[in-house]
Amino acid sequence: MDIGFTSEQEELRAVLRAFLDDHADRRGLLDSDTCHDAKLWRRMATEIGVQGLAVPEEYGGAGFGAAEMCVVFEELGRALAGAPMLATAGLAAAALLACGDEDAKAEFLPGIADGSTIATLALVEAEGAWETDAVHTRARRSDGGHVIDGAKYFVLDGVLADLVLVTVRTEEGTALFAVSGDAAGLVRRAHEAVDPTRGMARLDFASVPARLLSSDPSVVETALDQARIALAAEQAGGAQWCLETAVAYAKTRHQFGRPIGSFQAVKHRCADMMVAVEAARSAAYLAALTAHDNADELAIAATSAQICCSRAYTEVAAGTIQIHGGIGFTWEHDAHLYYKRAKTDELLFGSPDWHRDRLARLTGIAPPKTIEGGVSA
Amino acid sequence: MPDDEEFRESLRAFLKEHAPGRAPKGAAERLAFAKAWAATKYDHGFAGPAWPREAGGMGLPFEQQVIYQVEMARYRLPAMPGTGWEMVGPTIIKYGTPEQKEKYLRATLRADIVWAQGFSEPEAGSDLPGLRTTARRDGDHYVVNGQKVWNTNAEKADMLFVLVRTGTQEARQKGISYLLIDAHAPGVTVRPIRDITGGEHFCEIFFDEVRVPVSQRVGEENDGWRIARTTLGHERSAGALNQAAFYRRIVDELIALARERGAVADTGVRRRLADFDVRVRVMNAHAARTIASIVATGEPGPTSSVSRLYNSVFEQELHEFAVELLGPFGLLGRGDPDTVQRGRWTGGWLATRASTIGAGTAEIQRNTIAEQLLGLPRDPAMPPRP
Repeated sequence: MDIGFTSEQEELRAVLRAFLDDHADRRGLLDSDTCHDAKLWRRMATEIGVQGLAVPEEYGGAGFGAAEMCVVFEELGRALAGAPMLATAGLAAAALLACGDEDAKAEFLPGIADGSTIATLALVEAEGAWETDAVHTRARRSDGGHVIDGAKYFVLDGVLADLVLVTVRTEEGTALFAVSGDAAGLVRRAHEAVDPTRGMARLDFASVPARLLSSDPSVVETALDQARIALAAEQAGGAQWCLETAVAYAKTRHQFGRPIGSFQAVKHRCADMMVAVEAARSAAYLAALTAHDNADELAIAATSAQICCSRAYTEVAAGTIQIHGGIGFTWEHDAHLYYKRAKTDELLFGSPDWHRDRLARLTGIAPPKTIEGGVSA
Repeated sequence: MPDDEEFRESLRAFLKEHAPGRAPKGAAERLAFAKAWAATKYDHGFAGPAWPREAGGMGLPFEQQVIYQVEMARYRLPAMPGTGWEMVGPTIIKYGTPEQKEKYLRATLRADIVWAQGFSEPEAGSDLPGLRTTARRDGDHYVVNGQKVWNTNAEKADMLFVLVRTGTQEARQKGISYLLIDAHAPGVTVRPIRDITGGEHFCEIFFDEVRVPVSQRVGEENDGWRIARTTLGHERSAGALNQAAFYRRIVDELIALARERGAVADTGVRRRLADFDVRVRVMNAHAARTIASIVATGEPGPTSSVSRLYNSVFEQELHEFAVELLGPFGLLGRGDPDTVQRGRWTGGWLATRASTIGAGTAEIQRNTIAEQLLGLPRDPAMPPRP
C-alpha cells in the first residue's frame, strides 16, 4: 500500500490553495440562499479546470483519478469554498459514470466537465434514511416516457442544480432517473441549513418528466460511497484549517503575561487535535488512494473514512472554538462556520452510528442473522 | 546490491529453511531460544538490516528494510532478547571507539551480549536531565554510585548502557556521560520490580562504588545526553507496518472473542468493535504514509510523531473494552481455572497502563508534538531544552 501523492498532485494542491486563498470568500456565502459563488465556479472551470479533472477525456474532462479529486476536495473543505463540487462531481458525475447509459454520459458529462452544468443527486425522503431502498418517490409511464411524483429532502445544491438525478421506487426496486432543474412540476425550496456555507433544498415532484438512467441500485450505492470518500477529504481539509488557525492564535494570544500556547493545558489540546487531524488525513487518503476491487471494498473504505473523519473534524472544530475563547463564539470569527460544517457533515450520507452498523455488517463483525432489523449494505 | 525482488526471495528462502518453531516454556529456555535465533540470523547475514556492513549489519536501503520487516513479520519469530540493543547499537556505531565497535557491535547483533538501558531514576523520570547517578573520575576509571529504575528485563542483561552525572547537578544535560557497564561488575545489584500485572518486567539497578574503565565511555565526557538518542536513519519506521499488522491481529482476536461469547448481538458492542476496526485501518495508513514520506523526501513526516500517542491510547481503550466484553468473567484473574483465554485480556488491560508512561509519558509526547511539530512556545516554567 502506497498512499503518497506525486509531485504533480502536490503541485495541483499548491495551485488550488493559492487560487482559493485569493478567490474563495466563505463570508460572502452567509447571505446567500444557494451558497454558490458563480464567479468562483466559473474561474475554477476556466483557470484550473477543476470540474473536469476526474471526468474521462472522451467526455471532455482531463481524465485524472481519485488522487486528484482527493486533493481538490481537501482544499475545498479547507476553504469552505462556495462551489457545488460535492453534489456535481462527488455525487452526480460518480452516478453517471457508474450507470451504463452511454447516451446520458455523452449528454451530461461534458457540461459537468466544463463547469456549465451543476448537478446533484436526490435520495433522502421524509424519513431521513440514507438506505437506497427507503424510497417512496414513484415513476409512472406517460407519453412514451416517465413522470415522477414524490418529495426529496436535504438535496445538496438542489436549488441550483441544472440536472437532478433522482432515486425512484419502481416495480423492480430502486432506479435512478434524470430530471432537468427547470422541469415543469418541480418545486424547489432552499432549506435553512445549520451550515450556512452548504446549499440544501427540498424538492417536490408533481408529474415531473424524467428520464430513466439505470435500474441497478448499486449505481446509487457506488455514487454515495464515492461522495463519502470526497466528503472525508473535505473533512480532513477543514480539520487542518481549524488546527492551523487554533495554533496560530495560541502563539499570539497572551494571558498571564505569556502566550496561551505555552500553557500545557492548551498545548495538550492542540497536540490531541493534531493526532485527530492526522488520523482524518490517513483515513481520507486510505479511502481515496487505494484501489477498491469490488463494491464491498469501496463501501468499507468509504464508511471507515466517514467514521474516522466525522469524529475528528467535530473534535478539532470544537477545540478551535475553545482555544479562541470568547472570540471563537462570535459570529465574526470563522470558527463557527467550520464547527457547523463539521457537525452537519456527520449527518450527511449517514450518521456515525449508521456507519458503524454498516461497517459491522460489511466486515463480518456480526453474522447478518444476528442483526435485528438489519438492512443489507 | 540485489534488487528488491531478489532480496525478498533470498530472505524468504532463508526464513523457510531456518525460522524456528514454537517458543519453549520457561524464562531461561525462552532466552536461549531467542539468542539462538539471533545467532542464526547473524550467521546467515540476515541481522541488522539498517546497520552498516562494517558493523556486521546488512546496510540495506530503506525500501529493503521495509521488505525485511514485512517478510519477517510473516513468521512468529522471537524478538531480540533484552531491550535497548537498537538504541545502544547506533550510538556505538556513530560515536564509539574502534575498540568498542570491535568488542560490542557484532556480539550485540548476534545476541551474544544482551543489553538493558539505565536512564530513568526515582527522581528523574520525565525530567531525565535531572538525573543523579554519579560517576567520579579515579585515574583511568569512573566510580559509579546511584540508582536506576524501570529497566526493562535488566535481570537478563549482560551489559548496561547508562547515563551518569559527570558534571554538576546544575549543568543538567550538559553534565551527563554515557557509560557501558558490565551488569555483573562488583557493586551492581539488579532487583526486579513486581508490577500491577503481578509479573516482573522492570527492574531497579543499584550502583555501589562500581568501577568502570574510562575506555567504556561512549563519546566525550559530559556529551552523553546529545548522543543518547542516536538512531540510524529511519530504522524504526521500517517496521511501522508490522506494528499496524500486530494490532490488526489483536482486533481480529477481540472480534472473534465477541462472537464466541455472543456479544455481537448487541448493537453497542458492534459499534465499539467497528470503531476499533477503523482505528487499526488508520494505523496502517499512518505507517504507509510514514514510509511513503521517507522514500519520497527522506523525512518521516507528521504521522511518525503522532502514531505512538495514537497507538498507546488505542491499546488501552481496546483492552478496557475487552474486559467489559467478558462480563462477569472479567472479574477473574489469570490463575482462575474458569478464566477466559488464560487471562490475556485482563492481563493486557493492566499491562497497557504502561503504554502511556514508559519511554516518554503521553504528557511529554503531547509537549513534543505541540512544541516541535506545531511550534507552540516553550513553557517558561520548564528548563530550556538541550
